[in-house]
Amino acid sequence: MNRMLRGVLAAGIVGLGAISATLLAPVPAQATQPDELVIGKSGDPDTLDPAVTVTNNSWTATYPAYERLLKFKVVDGKGSTEVEGDVAKSWSASDDGKTWTFVLGDGHVFADGTPLNAAAVKFSFDRVIKVGKGPGDLFGQVASVEAPDDHTVKFTLKAAFAPFLATLVDDGASIVNPKVMEHEVNGDMGQAYLSDHTMGSGPYQVASWEKSQQIVMTPNPHWTGNLAFKQIVIRIIKEASARRLQLEKGDLDLIEDVPVDQLKALGAAPGVKVVDEPSFFVTYLYLNNTHKPLDNVKVRQAISYAVDYKGIIDGILLGQGVQMRGDVPVGLWGHDDSVMQYNYDPDKAKALLAEAGVKDLTLGYLYAKTDPNWENIGLVLQQNLAPLGIKVEMQENAYPTMRDKLNKGDFDIAAGNWTPDYADPQMFMNFWFDSKLHGLPGNRAFYTNPKVDELIRAAEIAPTEEARVKLYDEAQKITVEEAPYVLLFQRNYQFAMRDNVKGFVYNAMQLQIYNFATMSKGS
Amino acid sequence: MSFANTIRRRLILLVFVVFGVSVVTFVISHMIPGDPARMMAGERATNETVAHIRAELGLDKSIPVQYVTYVRGLLHGDFGISIRTQRPVIDDILLFFPATIELAIAALLLAIILGIPLGVLSAVAKDKAVDQVSRTISVTGISTPAFWLGLLLIYVFYGRLGILPGSGRIASDIPPPHTVTGFYTIDALIAGNGRAFVSALLHLILPALTLGFVHLGIVTRQIRSAMLEVLQEDYIRTARASGISRVRIVFHYALRNALIPSVTMIGLAFGDLLYGAVLTETVFAWPGMGNYVVQSITALDFPAIMGFTVVASTAYVLLNMLVDLLYMFLDPQIREVG
Repeated sequence: MNRMLRGVLAAGIVGLGAISATLLAPVPAQATQPDELVIGKSGDPDTLDPAVTVTNNSWTATYPAYERLLKFKVVDGKGSTEVEGDVAKSWSASDDGKTWTFVLGDGHVFADGTPLNAAAVKFSFDRVIKVGKGPGDLFGQVASVEAPDDHTVKFTLKAAFAPFLATLVDDGASIVNPKVMEHEVNGDMGQAYLSDHTMGSGPYQVASWEKSQQIVMTPNPHWTGNLAFKQIVIRIIKEASARRLQLEKGDLDLIEDVPVDQLKALGAAPGVKVVDEPSFFVTYLYLNNTHKPLDNVKVRQAISYAVDYKGIIDGILLGQGVQMRGDVPVGLWGHDDSVMQYNYDPDKAKALLAEAGVKDLTLGYLYAKTDPNWENIGLVLQQNLAPLGIKVEMQENAYPTMRDKLNKGDFDIAAGNWTPDYADPQMFMNFWFDSKLHGLPGNRAFYTNPKVDELIRAAEIAPTEEARVKLYDEAQKITVEEAPYVLLFQRNYQFAMRDNVKGFVYNAMQLQIYNFATMSKGS
Repeated sequence: MSFANTIRRRLILLVFVVFGVSVVTFVISHMIPGDPARMMAGERATNETVAHIRAELGLDKSIPVQYVTYVRGLLHGDFGISIRTQRPVIDDILLFFPATIELAIAALLLAIILGIPLGVLSAVAKDKAVDQVSRTISVTGISTPAFWLGLLLIYVFYGRLGILPGSGRIASDIPPPHTVTGFYTIDALIAGNGRAFVSALLHLILPALTLGFVHLGIVTRQIRSAMLEVLQEDYIRTARASGISRVRIVFHYALRNALIPSVTMIGLAFGDLLYGAVLTETVFAWPGMGNYVVQSITALDFPAIMGFTVVASTAYVLLNMLVDLLYMFLDPQIREVG
């Protein structure tokens, strides 16, 4: 026994020695190379299959790995919401808007050397529809896809659908190498294989993925353009302070998810620049239009007048956002700058509530910790509504539970965020107000107005942008007036990078997606 | 009771414990309002898409039917497919569990290697300077929140001094060693890859220190108080009167008895380390079970939650068995009476 204990003590001393020795030993340098881009991300992607994933966090890797028929145009170095050809070099639509024909360009080759042809496009759309997961919903209007020859793809829609072109830029429209079927197991169309591999014709392909650690992407050998980076490394670092420290030290070139309270300090750090741009990310409150007395338009308007918008934006967002005007965010076509905007007017709110004959009211406020702003917004709401005699009860739930309640309409007021999947006002107007979409799919206020239904459904199929905007404007006047939602703010999107990273093009539609192929690093 | 008997009884117990835990977890996780199919489809998915996914995942069946299907798979070694990552759950567990165990073992070793000598010194030199220092260390250890300590260590050793890496398991330019045990340090040694070993070891230091510090404090205190008690015993006085050297008394006679209560505590501490690693893993971007489980719970990923529960409860029972065996080894009385 004595020997054993002496052993333990000796081990202790050796251990101490080893620790001090390793403390003094030099650490291999981790600074990034000029021909690599190292990104710090807060979470691992879920899956890399473009027919399955619906999160921007995964699109960081999937979007540059695939090409699509169309892409967003870059205007004066800024991303726009207008589309232009990517794999498709031209396209045309039939008069009834139901048939769309695309002519493919040459020179698009999958990473394994297989040329990208019309059959591959048909395969990819058939696949995403058949797999039937989240991205499949984008193409619910597609009745059939045909590939009459190598360069022609013909889509037939069930009914005219004006936003169709806009959906073709989405990650779900990615063109997948049909050879993925060689990896099919149990009829999954290669879902298991594509969950951690990429098989696209984009500039970079996933070379390795060590789960929860890093993803390494390397160039598609058949990519025709010049690529500045020999590899892209996406590192998963959950803790915000750790990401920030590594960016400041130059071990990372770009970091996502910078908390607003750290932005200022980070912007002042040497060698670091902060990207701070308006986005289409909106935060708003759902008022359950089927719950009494929220079914009364005057009560909803009173709440919209009672909210201190500026206080919320300055206090919670630290000024990094703007109050919404109308339902379509500024920057997206279809936004109407002339539509009425509610302002903070407690007297008007009181008067409206008195007109409605409502007093001593208690309303629940449903939220989750998913977005840290939601709790703070609830607290402000509590304060703002108290003088009106409305008591707000904070109801925190786990996010999955909250979603369940939202879908069932089991709430009075709830917090929510919304970003468009494609650049079309339909993403706001039709989703938010169509009475067919009550619940999570979009109309979370459970709002019903036949006139609005008629207008937005007409706008969805109207042939020209002009005609569509007119219909949406008309609908928006009604929806703003009837206030089914409290339109809070449109948030800025921020992240930070080293100041030698060049060529990044911001597009409000493509958060967490980077144009790796045209980015580079200076000295 | 013999060793063999203890092992046999514990293994039988294991089956019941795992069965019980799995039923409870299965029922609770399926009773929580929320729909994993909807979590997977994206929140705006149409009801048809959600229904399609529910059917594909078998979630449209009743809970007992789902449970039987699950257990049948489990008996064939099939943990199911993760809803969130679309990969076999067993693959994910084999990937993340060793990382957590490696971290927990390193943390525990640090706590034991530093904690036992500190506790002994502290007891022998009661109320002297050494004792004060050691007590300060242990109180600090017990009361310092892990995430704060972790950030502090990163700031000092990575940020200011630049002598230790701040996150991950291995330098990003070194490919991880071929998986044998899943422990990067050991696998690197097996592969004879010195560079990978050094990198893995360096990456282990700060998270192990962060995770182990609390237990270092606990071990130190426990050993100290047990030693103080034992040193008052008659047989120690007798030994001292017989002229046996002080060192021999402390280590040969006192420590062995003082260790017995600590063994239980250390065994439990290991379980605690496995569960408690979440914060440390987050701060150090350590790709372990903690993060995986938290993400799985958020996504209501039943197969992943179940897989973790089954593996963790098995590990816990086996660990307790090990503690009991160690006990019997250290204290012959337990062997005879038990």
